Amino acid sequence: MIASAKLFWRLMIRPLGREPVRMGLTVLSVALGVAVVLAIDLAGTAATGSFRSSLETLTGNYNLEVTATGGIPETIVGDLATLPLNLAVSPRLEDFAVVAETKKSVVLLGLDLIGEASLLQTQTDASSADMAAEFPKDFSEDDSVWAGSSLGWKKGQQISLILGDRERQFTVRGIYDDQNQPAIVMDIAAAQRALGRIGKVDRILLHAPETKTTDAWTKQISAVLPPGIEVRAAGTGTEENRKMLSAFRWNLKLLSYIALIVGAFLIYNTISVSVVRRRAEIGIARALGATRAKVLLAFTGEAAVLGIIGALLGVPLGRIMASGAVKLMGATVDALYVSSRPGAIELDFASVLTALVVGIGVAVIAAYAPAREAAQIAPVDAMARGRKEFLLRVHKTRDLTIAVFLAFAAWAAAQAPAVSGKPLFGYLATLLAVAAGTLAIPSAVSAVMKSSAALLKKSGVAVLLASRSLLGSLRRTSVLVGALATSIAMMTAVGIMVGSFRTTVIQWMEGEVPADFYLRPTGNPSVDRHPTISPEFADRLAALPGVEAVDRLRAYQVSYDGVPTTVAAADFRESLKRDRSDFFSGRPTQIVLRELRSGDNIVVSEPFTYKHNVKQGDTITLPLGTSLVNFRIADVYYDYGSERGFILMDRSAMKKYLPDEAPSNLAVYVANGADPARVRAEIEQAAASYRVLIFSNADIRKQAILIFDKTFAITYALEAVAVLVAVMGVAGALLALVIDRKRELGLLRFLGATGGQIRRMILAEAALLGLLANAAGLLLGFALSLILIFVINKQSFGWTIRFHWPVAVLSGAISLIFAATVLAGFYPGRIAVRLNPIEVVHEE
Amino acid sequence: MVTFHNVVKDYPADGQLVRALNGISLDLPAGQFVALVGRSGCGKSTLLNLAGAMDFPTSGEVLLDGVSTSSRDDSALTKLRREKVGFVFQSFQLLNTLSVVENVELPLLLAGTPDARELALDRLAAVELSGLEHRMPHQLSGGQMQRVAIARALVNNPKILLADEPTGNLDTTTGVLILDLLKRLTREQNTATMMATHSAEAAAVADVVVELRDGKIAGIRRP
Repeated sequence: MIASAKLFWRLMIRPLGREPVRMGLTVLSVALGVAVVLAIDLAGTAATGSFRSSLETLTGNYNLEVTATGGIPETIVGDLATLPLNLAVSPRLEDFAVVAETKKSVVLLGLDLIGEASLLQTQTDASSADMAAEFPKDFSEDDSVWAGSSLGWKKGQQISLILGDRERQFTVRGIYDDQNQPAIVMDIAAAQRALGRIGKVDRILLHAPETKTTDAWTKQISAVLPPGIEVRAAGTGTEENRKMLSAFRWNLKLLSYIALIVGAFLIYNTISVSVVRRRAEIGIARALGATRAKVLLAFTGEAAVLGIIGALLGVPLGRIMASGAVKLMGATVDALYVSSRPGAIELDFASVLTALVVGIGVAVIAAYAPAREAAQIAPVDAMARGRKEFLLRVHKTRDLTIAVFLAFAAWAAAQAPAVSGKPLFGYLATLLAVAAGTLAIPSAVSAVMKSSAALLKKSGVAVLLASRSLLGSLRRTSVLVGALATSIAMMTAVGIMVGSFRTTVIQWMEGEVPADFYLRPTGNPSVDRHPTISPEFADRLAALPGVEAVDRLRAYQVSYDGVPTTVAAADFRESLKRDRSDFFSGRPTQIVLRELRSGDNIVVSEPFTYKHNVKQGDTITLPLGTSLVNFRIADVYYDYGSERGFILMDRSAMKKYLPDEAPSNLAVYVANGADPARVRAEIEQAAASYRVLIFSNADIRKQAILIFDKTFAITYALEAVAVLVAVMGVAGALLALVIDRKRELGLLRFLGATGGQIRRMILAEAALLGLLANAAGLLLGFALSLILIFVINKQSFGWTIRFHWPVAVLSGAISLIFAATVLAGFYPGRIAVRLNPIEVVHEE
Repeated sequence: MVTFHNVVKDYPADGQLVRALNGISLDLPAGQFVALVGRSGCGKSTLLNLAGAMDFPTSGEVLLDGVSTSSRDDSALTKLRREKVGFVFQSFQLLNTLSVVENVELPLLLAGTPDARELALDRLAAVELSGLEHRMPHQLSGGQMQRVAIARALVNNPKILLADEPTGNLDTTTGVLILDLLKRLTREQNTATMMATHSAEAAAVADVVVELRDGKIAGIRRP
């Protein structure tokens, strides 16, 4: 055992130190691959995996919760408290306040401070005696708030908060230790008054004795409550959100593996080079009694060592990258899903172990093929003098046949439906397509190089030699082109998908954002927050001389089929005039909207239909207020505003069950002939005492695209790392090529080649590699983009995206990659020029 | 054509200087075929490298067609090599990725000479390889490969032809044919040919045999 280890060290590991730059690049590629996987895993856990809704704070020790769309009538609190079930009851009002100074949204909780003062007392920095002394005096004062310590406020500080569309002054009566979960706490009665929600609470937390199961308690308590009110296990909302985020997390996680896959190509290349270089050594070792298994073990062991070093470097790097990733992911979660509060990034043993296993595993698997080839070398052949270039076998025809078969399998997999809401076959189709593309590369490279031989020759002797060298080591060239092409393909595919999505959204907004001005309460927008505007303000706007109409939209959070979604009601006054269709059925908009006015009819967004497997004509039951109401799906509409799904009805229908008049958003239409700038000034004047934001049509589109771009920033970051790994691979591989062809390069000097010609030859090789990889990557990327757009996106998120070539982005990215590839040839080129021709020719 | 004036060449090895050539003076006129003989490490290859402007002497002077190599920089030496020197190696040193004719025309392409293909085909005819121009090196016999190497060495009409053990990898019969070819071409092209060899039979073909020992000329004889 010790003897084997010694031999392994002497024959396999020690020689790695002779090429520190190339080995460094290989290790770094594994490290980056591992780091990205780990970063996305850690950030995913922090941003979504350990997801806690922002509202989940100061929840105490409760095991059940009662909720209702649009709030629960306060009388229910009394009903529950008087049930002979020994229940502890805690009503809560849950909303967001905007800090006027910073414009940041903070959770605002209305708690029954008489019953629950202990929640603050036990966590306060003040003594219990102080708090107890203050509560009776201040708690019910309308301006009293208690602030979480992480907000950084001081006791006694005056603070200006915007609630809905109104700004008010509050006094901080105390600070409590919020464990980094900031919130502002008020007494529930004061909060009801401040928010204009007299008689309503948002959630009632219950503690039921553990004499029965949660299910049994849920059934028993539900039986005594109105049908629209839901009783469920405490924290169900958080669990639902977590479930909702799983597709998002899955897709990012899979995307994070691209860099590692590209790293695998490079390990394959490194071990292949190692096998070729050590052919004679393998022969000697075999002649001296080494078994085939030992040779196989030696080369997979070499890869494992590279994997271990790479993975060990990747772990701290991943931890650093996770901090950036969690910010980007958190922004996406907030914009598309739910107001969230990322948890702390925890580098636990399991994450580190996974990273190590993945890094080492990928390295060993990637090294298996060349290691097996090494094991099969006959000792006599290996020791014979002869060509020392990369001579491992290439089976072009066989590989091409397999590629065609895999491409067909990819097509077949792309036709399969989702499995439990996950596009597993879509992912499989992607993998198969990448494998097909990779296997087709040797044939493609060979065909391209041969067909362009005359052209290449005309480009000068450096290009001719470069092309012949690449063709002469076809397998190595193919592996390099494959690595770079895979990363370019994924970048192209994601670029096309995002670009298509972006264009689709822009085109969609042309139709969906018809009003001249949009208004909403101040604060950061979030998909699950629906602060309201005073109804009288909407009426005032409608009465302005330059305003033709004001459409009111009111949105509520609802849980449908265990998934959070948004139910909204609008006037549709202006939309009713439209005869174009926004619907799947192709029916004119005005006809569908009239149907909405005629009863309990709704339209649902496209993602909603995929998430809940419903279609036009189906009936769904929604909890609205205290009622459970059946609605018929009149039609399905294209929507790119929310991944959670959207249910839309006429305001008249909603007001039957939720009679609150306050709108969440207003759409203002300027009258024909009126000056929009003047109307805006009038609106601003009318809004002087309200804290609302006014957006012009152009503003709202710009803002939507800004959010869109922010959402996909992390995707581009992942792509960039994969491309970086591939370009590093090209640099490392060119270096290997230079070292392997020292004799040839020395000979060229003997034959009269200048240093400049040698350098140009290496750069030409880099450029040809870049060109081939870009061409292959674009083709493969196009195929992958179809799978991404029409299979993975559709099955994961349910959006219909119209295909579009983002020419500017793609050509920019590809030019950049090409330039980087050529630059990657500079260092190897320098090394090539510095070789001493006498030494390298005579050492043969 | 090639003149060595009291040439000394030292190499650093393991931190110490090793004297490879020690006061060599030699004149090689055009049209003469000189064989360098001696044991391994006696300085044969070093002498060839200096004659081919691949290296500089530590002291003394090497003149190629009247031009001192010590006075030139790297690019000037490369130009000198392109125009005046042809190399033939023991292991042929053909580029496996290029065809026969492409190997032969390579020095011309590197020098940017027009009509490279025609000149290369002429040279192939001169070494009796017409018809094999599109074969790849691995499709040739050892003797054919060395003929290609000779054609390549002569394609730019060099004034100096340097051959390092040109028959070392060939069987006796083929070796004799290659030596005859070298001798014939030396006459026809009027080149100064310098061949390093271990073989007494090979040396016997030369006009002059220079014996080297420990970096010095131990004797000059005509076979």
